Amino acid sequence: MLIRARRHHSLVIGSVMLAMVILMALLSPLIAPYDPALQDLENRFSPPFWSEGGSTEHILGTDNLGRDILSRIMWGSQTSLIIGLLTVVMSGVIGSALGIAAGYFGGRLDMIVTFLVTVRLSLPVVLVALVVVAVLGNSLSLMIAAIGLLLWDRFAIVSRSVTRQLATREYIIAARCFGSSSARVLIRELLPNLYGPLLVVASLEMANAVLLEASLSFLGLGVQPPQVSWGLMVAEAKSQLLFRPWVLAIPSVALIWLVLSINLVGDALRDITTPEGRA
Amino acid sequence: MIEFLRLRGVCRDYNVGGVLSGNQTLQALRGIDLEIHKGETLGLVGESGSGKSTLAKIILGNEPPSAGQVLVGGAPLETRGRKERARLIQPVFQDPYSSLNPRMSISAIIAAPLEVQGYDTGKVRREKVREMAAMVGLPEHLLAAYPVQLSGGQRQRVAIARGLIVEPEMLICDEPTSALDASVQAQILNLLARLKSEMGLTMLLISHDLGVVRHLSDRVAVLYLGRIVEAGAAEQLLGSPRHPYTETLVGAALPARAGTKLPPPGPNAELPSPLAPPPGCAFHPRCSKADRTDCRERVPEPTVQDGNLVCCHHPNPSDLVARAVQPRTTFQFTEQ
Amino acid sequence: MTDETQLLRVEDLCVDLPTVSGLLSPVRSVSLSVARNETLAIVGESGSGKSLTATAILGLLPRSARVRSRAIELDGTDLTRLGARALRRLRGDRIAMIFQDPMTALDPCYRVGDQMVEILRQHRRISRKDAMERARGMLAQVGIPAPETRLRQFPHQLSGGLRQRVVIAMALLCEPDLIIADEPTTALDVTIQAQILSLLKSLQERTGFGLILITHDFGVVAGMADRIAVMYGGEVVETGPCDELLEAPLHPYTEGLLQALPSLRVGDGPLGLIPGVVPRQVGPRLACGFVDRCPYAETECSEHPVQMREQGFARATRCILPSDRPRDDRTVWHRQMGEDK
Repeated sequence: MLIRARRHHSLVIGSVMLAMVILMALLSPLIAPYDPALQDLENRFSPPFWSEGGSTEHILGTDNLGRDILSRIMWGSQTSLIIGLLTVVMSGVIGSALGIAAGYFGGRLDMIVTFLVTVRLSLPVVLVALVVVAVLGNSLSLMIAAIGLLLWDRFAIVSRSVTRQLATREYIIAARCFGSSSARVLIRELLPNLYGPLLVVASLEMANAVLLEASLSFLGLGVQPPQVSWGLMVAEAKSQLLFRPWVLAIPSVALIWLVLSINLVGDALRDITTPEGRA
Repeated sequence: MIEFLRLRGVCRDYNVGGVLSGNQTLQALRGIDLEIHKGETLGLVGESGSGKSTLAKIILGNEPPSAGQVLVGGAPLETRGRKERARLIQPVFQDPYSSLNPRMSISAIIAAPLEVQGYDTGKVRREKVREMAAMVGLPEHLLAAYPVQLSGGQRQRVAIARGLIVEPEMLICDEPTSALDASVQAQILNLLARLKSEMGLTMLLISHDLGVVRHLSDRVAVLYLGRIVEAGAAEQLLGSPRHPYTETLVGAALPARAGTKLPPPGPNAELPSPLAPPPGCAFHPRCSKADRTDCRERVPEPTVQDGNLVCCHHPNPSDLVARAVQPRTTFQFTEQ
Repeated sequence: MTDETQLLRVEDLCVDLPTVSGLLSPVRSVSLSVARNETLAIVGESGSGKSLTATAILGLLPRSARVRSRAIELDGTDLTRLGARALRRLRGDRIAMIFQDPMTALDPCYRVGDQMVEILRQHRRISRKDAMERARGMLAQVGIPAPETRLRQFPHQLSGGLRQRVVIAMALLCEPDLIIADEPTTALDVTIQAQILSLLKSLQERTGFGLILITHDFGVVAGMADRIAVMYGGEVVETGPCDELLEAPLHPYTEGLLQALPSLRVGDGPLGLIPGVVPRQVGPRLACGFVDRCPYAETECSEHPVQMREQGFARATRCILPSDRPRDDRTVWHRQMGEDK
């Protein structure tokens, strides 16, 4: 499988791109040239170094308050990644637990979970997140909780359908026959076979989470200053689209980069894990 | 002979049919009476719709019967706990490709039943796994491998090892060699025969292949549409079958020998669906004898003669005298 | 037997599949022939290449497969020289194929009658009404009761045995000269299998088509075949008339295989075994393909690959040992446990 992984172009490119973002997030306290909140009102809207009027002092230029864009991009990556990872872990645990239980036990439990999924699918996610944050305030942890409690549906759907297929496999029946409790069957026999598909879902949901956070921050209901978020950067720059495009473009490109890398890795994982034997 | 497993009047119904076809009841098993004694191998023969898989599930305790009783070692199956049942009866399934967890190593798969029982240390378990692997002819270097690296025959050996490691009283083999090539099938059959005698196993062998059944079984029971239509000593039942269905089965088993002829085609009828069984004797549409009213109207009752059972209004005469066969075991049946 | 009487003549058929681990050769130099009104059984286990041989003859392999042969002739016409369109016209019309699984051979979305009519209208100029009438007649010929009802049904409404009869009827619609049946009864119950085989046989007696029956079941072979070709590791290792071959097999593999079958009538005792596993088919043959597993193997057997050689009338074998070598009936094939590699 590792051989296939190395030959898979999407995986290589996506992983490299993602690794760059992760490194940036990890090392930003050390390598960011400036404090991202530091305002330098004399040097407002200075363009990136490759444009006319730019300098190497601020490689990517500065924004409306003279804050260094490069440093803000670096620190902003932390926000995106933290939110992406934590929400995926949370929604992954919730969704998988519900889906596996529904798929294995069936019956009324299945009906309830399916109903919950239907309800969740009929909710407009951004709107609900907005309402929650507007009503309960917008701390980072609250936002993580809100998004985590909203993005579990695909986990539930995928884990339910795979569990249903696997539940009739003879090795599961054999496990019941040699005396395994339901808990042991689910954890020791079923779950290892779900890692592949769930990993794929996790990577795709992470992209969703990143975008959701950016949208919320863009609408002013996400991360608040002095914390940095790429979505917030886009929001603050939206009036500058025609005159000082780089202030808007650079954080947008950062978002595209991250989401693209996650999707490439996710796609590649799906290709690699699916045709391997009969899981 | 000590009785190990006894089924009394076991029935199993399923509710099928959805919104469009209405609620229908599928009677998979209609009153099964069966006994297996310790150390004996019973071959269960049946085709699609006979209910043999359902019977296996009920004996394993994975599904409850809709009516009737399953007694293991004298006590009803439901009274036995999960782990206790595991020490009594273990399965070997048909498909070597889906009977092993692809994400577990071979040694983990074989050790798992011991883990669940919980009274061995890790070291003891590992030793038992090694012994078992040797006993089923699995080379030791495969213990660290994963199922995808093993051939069909090797996987079936692993399945057998897993079934036997807790030293159960009885093994249920559900078509254990149907998915294997002929040369591999021979290896597995020889293995089962050897283990049977070395471990004194009781065995229920479910198969559609009469040659396989003949090779391993002491007694045979023939299932048709959820009822046992004939049962008796293997050699006698297969040599001179009394029920027309058994006769058809034996005729359809083509020997790989020069001069083999196809059996004469009987009445042109398909296997009936268990959802709509024919009235009276379930076999009558396919029976070359059955143009008498009693076959069409009345379900035949089982008649027991010298320990052999047959459910037919007009069975073939038994020729015990001519064959002078000693049944290896006696076969008790209570009249219904 | 002169060439003129041969309906199908295959000479030196080879199929190579390029893979990541090298060139796989699942079919190596297969030669066989079938006459009209004759049944040739191709017997082998999984991995012998028997199904691929059939698909190669019909030209149905994927483009990545490389098929070479000295000749594939149907009634003298070289099939390898035909273009794709000509080959398509041939399939279903003069050569028909019956596949193993009736559940997947029929399209679940269309009624039985419509599928049969489609076949007829592809190969003949015939009106829909006439085609439907011929389909109805064919269903009756294969022993399906109430064929008018069946024509309007969907495949999932039929039982397995009925579906296979429909598949046979579809194969016969255009009155083919040759039928290739790949494990036609493996997925069916044993009593239904007997019915279907009897049906095929009586249809052959009536219509006179040549039948290639591919199977792993020697019992089916014994009941149906006029001639047998045994395949192992992509090669034909033995051919001969059915009864003769079964009574006195020449090739050790055939002998071993027959020993391994549990019989309904022979007494107890362990079954004969063929130790080892089928070798992978990568790279050219350097020795007899069976030498690693053969209990009669001699030094010469591992020195060079073996060609088919005639042994008496209409028999051939790919073995250099003399046909009158001493044979132990069972003891030579007995091992404690087969060695699985």
